[in-house]
Amino acid sequence: MNGILNWILWMPIIGMVAVLLTPKAKENVIRMISLVNTAITLVLSVILYLNFDNSTADMQFVVKIPWIEHFHINYYLGIDGITMLMTFLNALLFFICTLSSWTVDKSVKAYFALLLMLQSTVFGVFFALDFFLFYVYWEVMLIPMFFLIGIWGGENREYAAVKFFLYTFFGSIFMLVGIVALYYATGKGPESFSILALQGGRFVNEVVNIFGYEISFEKIFFWFMFLGFAIKVPVFPFHTWLPHAHVQAPTAVSVILAGVLLKMGTYGFLRIAFPIFPAAAVEYSTLIAVLGLISVLYGAFCAMAQDDVKKLIAYSSVSHMGFVMLGISAMTTQGVNGAVLQMFNHGTSTAMMFLLIGIIYERSHHRWIVRPDGTRGYGGLYTTHPKFTTVFIIGMFASMGLPGLSGFISEALIFLGIYQKFTTITVIAVLGLLLGAAYLLWMFKRMFFGPVNPECEKYSDMNAREIFYMVPLCICVILFGIYPSPLLNVMKASVGQLVELLAKF
Amino acid sequence: MIQQLFGFLSYYIPEVMVIVLMTTLLVAEAAVKDEHGSRKNIYTYALVVLGLTLIPLFQNLGKAPAHIFFNAVTIDSLSTITKIIMVIGTMGSILLSYTSKDIYSNLKSEFAIMAVGVLVGGMLLASANNFLTMYVGIETLSILSFVLAALKRDESTSAEAGLKYVLYGGLSAGVALYGISHIYGALGTIQFTEVFEKVAVLEGTKLTIVVVASILFFGGLAYKISAFPFHMWSPDVYQGSPISVTTFFSIVPKLAAFSALVRVSMVFFNNNTVLTNAWVGLLLVVAAMTMTVGNVTAIGQNSVKRLLAFSSIGHVGLMILGVAVLNEEGIRALIFYGIVYMFMTLCAFYITSHLNDTYGTDNYDIFRGLIYRHPLMAVIMVGTLLSLAGIPPFSGFVAKFNIFNIIIEKRYYGIAVVAAINSVISLYYYLRFAKIIIFGKADGNEAIAGFSSFNQAVIVAFFIPVLFLGIFWEKIFAFAGSATVFLK
Repeated sequence: MNGILNWILWMPIIGMVAVLLTPKAKENVIRMISLVNTAITLVLSVILYLNFDNSTADMQFVVKIPWIEHFHINYYLGIDGITMLMTFLNALLFFICTLSSWTVDKSVKAYFALLLMLQSTVFGVFFALDFFLFYVYWEVMLIPMFFLIGIWGGENREYAAVKFFLYTFFGSIFMLVGIVALYYATGKGPESFSILALQGGRFVNEVVNIFGYEISFEKIFFWFMFLGFAIKVPVFPFHTWLPHAHVQAPTAVSVILAGVLLKMGTYGFLRIAFPIFPAAAVEYSTLIAVLGLISVLYGAFCAMAQDDVKKLIAYSSVSHMGFVMLGISAMTTQGVNGAVLQMFNHGTSTAMMFLLIGIIYERSHHRWIVRPDGTRGYGGLYTTHPKFTTVFIIGMFASMGLPGLSGFISEALIFLGIYQKFTTITVIAVLGLLLGAAYLLWMFKRMFFGPVNPECEKYSDMNAREIFYMVPLCICVILFGIYPSPLLNVMKASVGQLVELLAKF
Repeated sequence: MIQQLFGFLSYYIPEVMVIVLMTTLLVAEAAVKDEHGSRKNIYTYALVVLGLTLIPLFQNLGKAPAHIFFNAVTIDSLSTITKIIMVIGTMGSILLSYTSKDIYSNLKSEFAIMAVGVLVGGMLLASANNFLTMYVGIETLSILSFVLAALKRDESTSAEAGLKYVLYGGLSAGVALYGISHIYGALGTIQFTEVFEKVAVLEGTKLTIVVVASILFFGGLAYKISAFPFHMWSPDVYQGSPISVTTFFSIVPKLAAFSALVRVSMVFFNNNTVLTNAWVGLLLVVAAMTMTVGNVTAIGQNSVKRLLAFSSIGHVGLMILGVAVLNEEGIRALIFYGIVYMFMTLCAFYITSHLNDTYGTDNYDIFRGLIYRHPLMAVIMVGTLLSLAGIPPFSGFVAKFNIFNIIIEKRYYGIAVVAAINSVISLYYYLRFAKIIIFGKADGNEAIAGFSSFNQAVIVAFFIPVLFLGIFWEKIFAFAGSATVFLK
């Protein structure tokens, strides 16, 4: 069992090599290789889940091999409860995305090779326990994303790809400065790049001398890390790359971007920024909560104003990730539990929304709710497309947080957690839920009800392949809405440890 | 005395070999007829001899460091490692000049002769142990470089490049010499080993004189590495010169000058607090300005050669930081950067050269949609660009990481932030370039012809270190770390 993380991490790379070795013309073989590969990864991640020990907050399945001995950099992997959920989510979404990408017919070989490379790097980010390794995966991930958006994206894809790359790089280069500063602050010892060894508030009393002023080390470098992760989440005011990237990206990449990549930002807060700089995190928690609140409301208002349905969902991601930030900033057990759960649930429900938009886009080749000339882009889908409508309703209500579906549990937990700390913010944040219901229902009304748009009658309903890959997500959304314990149990110990640590400061 | 000289020569075999190579090349060029076959033989001969030079160089690494020729020249690991990189860089440029059509075909061997001549000057500069040797090294390097820059003598841009280079070179050499004479006046010696002891007890007026003089002297070297504010010549010269010359300029003279800069900084400015502070302050400001000016100006460039010239100014800014920290880690980071930068430059220019030959221009647009026309070239070019921008898993990232490492170790957080912002700026124009290669649509998507399998093998060979050193860099890092300055 010890090497299983290696297998999960490198399995997509094996698939990528296999894809690259297949002749270009055999497109179906390439698709099958990717599908089988992602299926194996999914099975491996289920095996991982079955062997996961819920009772401990320690890292499990640890792999540690020296890499650069001069700097004590290791190839150091391990997972805890929070990572376990993300691993499963990543494996699941990539499997589904491979299926949904069946219709991609532009440079198929390169597309699937890059998709598999992306999967491996995302696993790398979640598994890495060595800061240097983490940074390498964090950056390498940008390369396949850049090409996936830039080659297979919409009309304005090049701009979106460059903007995405530059924004993330801007944050991460400051993170690199922070990583190196941490290395020297710990005295270049053998554990100086180990994320675990850096945790626990070791730098509370460190000071930095800047132009003669003594400033707390934590307070400066917390912001270096914050910048890196906040851009990724994205927290207001760093969110401006997201609508472009989402709208221009091909369906599968939007799903991955919203489903997993955004979670890397919040994961960074939970694993790195907060445990390494606990005092600063506690001190600035109000500010983080306020930024989260602004994200919730601002994202929701922006979503409401959109005429492009994909852009609407993109802004709803900003809003939902704002809830995660609120939960994290509460630093209470319920809050952080809710935040991690919301990371998972948002992954499944937003993935559904993006996939569904992709499905209808393949048929209509536009995404307008209301066209710029004022006419409806869709209308009456409810009567013409019953299967599509059913799945859409499940996804939409999950995203809205309707009781009985997954979004409700996580949002309720977040509010429970944050109410103890920031009462006013909680009251205002509830407005976000209301707005969420408003923009989603309004969108639904305009697309699915009303007179049947004659164009829509020509579109076929969901086919078997599409139904097949939506089913697992529907199950996740409904099952974890009723019975979230499998998820909560997994993360309980890890979250508990984090909350305990933060409570000391 | 004679015996002593022969003893010295055992250290000096590489230089002797290169000098012999240069003279024999000159004779051979005069002797052979203008036929392609015999020219190929000349090139093979030059490459083989340069390759053989590496053997005594590596042997010198194993020997104890020594000052030879009565303290005029020092053979230590810093100079030897620099020479190894320079020899490899020269080989790469000569190989490029052989395949490139940018130099008139009746002129090609001249490039090899003069490049080897510049290499001689560079080797002398790298191991100079007093100001006079250093000055001679700079001049040997420069005079032949002027000719190289003007090699395409029928074209006005090349002539302009040559003239610009001469004017700037003459001015900065004069300024440097002026500085050296003041240092001699204040200290009474030009010998580095003696300088090291004398500066420790320096004070009063003499100290002031030395501070001012050292800034003047810095001008001479700053010009060679094209640091701000002596960088203005480099884009014009890069653009005007033939591509193989540009490649050569961005590797060999720069590394030689960096080696000299390291030596001067370590002997001169490491032993007296006032001097050290002045020097470090100067270097930090120059580094920050150099990278900012280089990267910001690179944004608007449409000529690939110019773009790479400005980007190289940006890289020089980072490399200066390796000198500014004044310690062994700094030298290691600098040497590592030099090795990595050499391979990235060779990759980028090799590809640019072929496209330039095919289309007769070095405008951006020749790269449009390259992925559809020559996938291998496009993938390697994009990899090189990402490496230049410092994105893992390419070696450019490791080089940049090492620079961040040394400056943060010294707690220069301000300059670290400047370097970070510069990284983002540089990423912008590299991405703009990569965007054209991958996302662009060429007018006709016809495949690029004439890039022989030999050339493909060469670019792959240059690219392997770019990728490999980004993942398994410990060995080369340790090798770079063995570069130390020998002080007696």
